[in-house]
Amino acid sequence: MKLGQQISKEEKKLVRKMFWRSMTMYASVNPVTMGGGGFAYSMMPFINHFYKDKNDRAAALERHSQYFSTTIPFASFIMGTAASMEKENSKKPGFDVESINAIKTSLMGPLAGIGDSLFWGVWRVVCAGLAINLAHAGNILAPIIFLIMFNVPNYLVRYYGGILGYSLGSKYIQKLYANGLIEILTKAASVLGLIMVGAMTISMVKFDTILSFSMDGKEILNVQKILDSIFKGIVPLLISLGCFKLLQKKVGVIKIIFGMVILGIVLSLLRIA
Amino acid sequence: MYDALVVALAVFIGVAGHELLGMAMLSRPIVVAPLAGLLLGDIQTGLIVGASLEAIFMGVVNIGISSTAEPSLAAGLATAFAIKMGGNVDVVIPIVFPLAVLGLQLMNMIFSFVCGPMAAKFFSFAKEDNQKGIINLHFFMWFIHYALYALIPFFAVLFGADVVKSVLDNIPKVIMNGLTVAGNLLPAVGMAMLLQMLWSKKIAVWFFSGAVIMAYFNLPLIAIAVIGAIIAIVMAQRDLQLKKMQTAPQANTITAGTRTIDDEEEDFFK
Repeated sequence: MKLGQQISKEEKKLVRKMFWRSMTMYASVNPVTMGGGGFAYSMMPFINHFYKDKNDRAAALERHSQYFSTTIPFASFIMGTAASMEKENSKKPGFDVESINAIKTSLMGPLAGIGDSLFWGVWRVVCAGLAINLAHAGNILAPIIFLIMFNVPNYLVRYYGGILGYSLGSKYIQKLYANGLIEILTKAASVLGLIMVGAMTISMVKFDTILSFSMDGKEILNVQKILDSIFKGIVPLLISLGCFKLLQKKVGVIKIIFGMVILGIVLSLLRIA
Repeated sequence: MYDALVVALAVFIGVAGHELLGMAMLSRPIVVAPLAGLLLGDIQTGLIVGASLEAIFMGVVNIGISSTAEPSLAAGLATAFAIKMGGNVDVVIPIVFPLAVLGLQLMNMIFSFVCGPMAAKFFSFAKEDNQKGIINLHFFMWFIHYALYALIPFFAVLFGADVVKSVLDNIPKVIMNGLTVAGNLLPAVGMAMLLQMLWSKKIAVWFFSGAVIMAYFNLPLIAIAVIGAIIAIVMAQRDLQLKKMQTAPQANTITAGTRTIDDEEEDFFK
């Protein structure tokens, strides 16, 4: 199978640029958008190529600075797919831009699951095991062999992932669009995305209260247990939905973030968490 | 001073290089310890320390806020102390480990307190199509995140582990704890932003199904993704049928049309 036959030389160049940029995706890692800033940075070559208008570029950059997190070797696949959708959007005025982030969100969860276990769970352990033996024997090459062994697949997957994502995207998005099936796909991707976001809300947003009431040294009321018996993860859910409501009311992100930090300290001061 | 500087440098290259080069695993003890050893002039001790620590940290993957101690800090410090004390790794590790635990807490503090608020700037830059701004911020956050972090090994080697530990211990517990609580809650903002894009009244209920599956069955994300994909595919197939029925009345003309749709569908969902 020859990858990327159907994409032009110029586009391949863009994919390559994105590939180099995608390495730094987690350089600006932060608890709010994780690799969002790096994602936007990686998409810039495409954005500048497809859009000539400043407002279009700004809109695209805004789309791609949103929360994004996946195993990094697979990130470029998603970037490639997103790039092919941006291309479509730049050509077709009525393109549903929501679909771009719907696809991104629905892809990042599953790929993170596969990537984490494959690269970190399995491959890194294999490489480290070998390097540990070499290092014990006093071989200076141990760290170098470790890095090369781990990173060759890491980089290859990322490079070909980018090309694959872009050419698959180009091939199918266009057809889907022509058949009017993109709406159906967007809806399906949004459903998958929402399910993933629901799951991630529980797994990423963590809150456990240590609040409890005791009498004579015996615990009579454990608040966390009560909260759990109402609904497990009720606090992360309510807090995420609360943030969502605030965002809809046009409260600035930075305000929400600072509010959250203050909330954390206040909760800690009150010995609630 | 030189020792402190090079150990800090080795840790910085480890943690910062790891992020810059696409999670290239530069931050693992097997890399950081020999590097620190090399810069301190005793690569053999570095290798031994690296091998022992790598084995200890084998199971630890640093993703956000989810491990107990930070491997590269442990590796850098253990190497420095082992070389100073004459190469006995077993003695050094118990000294270094508490510091690495504190190091991770401090890393998380920087992560949520310094990087978190800065992230909002990305949106304002994006809105103005300020690409330079995004690029600068992207790399500035990288540098500040890990340069701040590299101060720990610097001072730890300069003043000794005990001094640094007592200083870090003296940061009020409530504040430390509060920042950890905040760091654990901050992803909610990211989730809220995703919701803002995906939310529509007709399909919003699915958000809760994902939450219920995770909260009560505790399935790995990949399993939930498969369940989600199945739901999405079934839904798409039903939507396809509805779409076909809408165009059905002209019975003769549709046969050609439906065939291509079927092909597409099979192509896409295979």
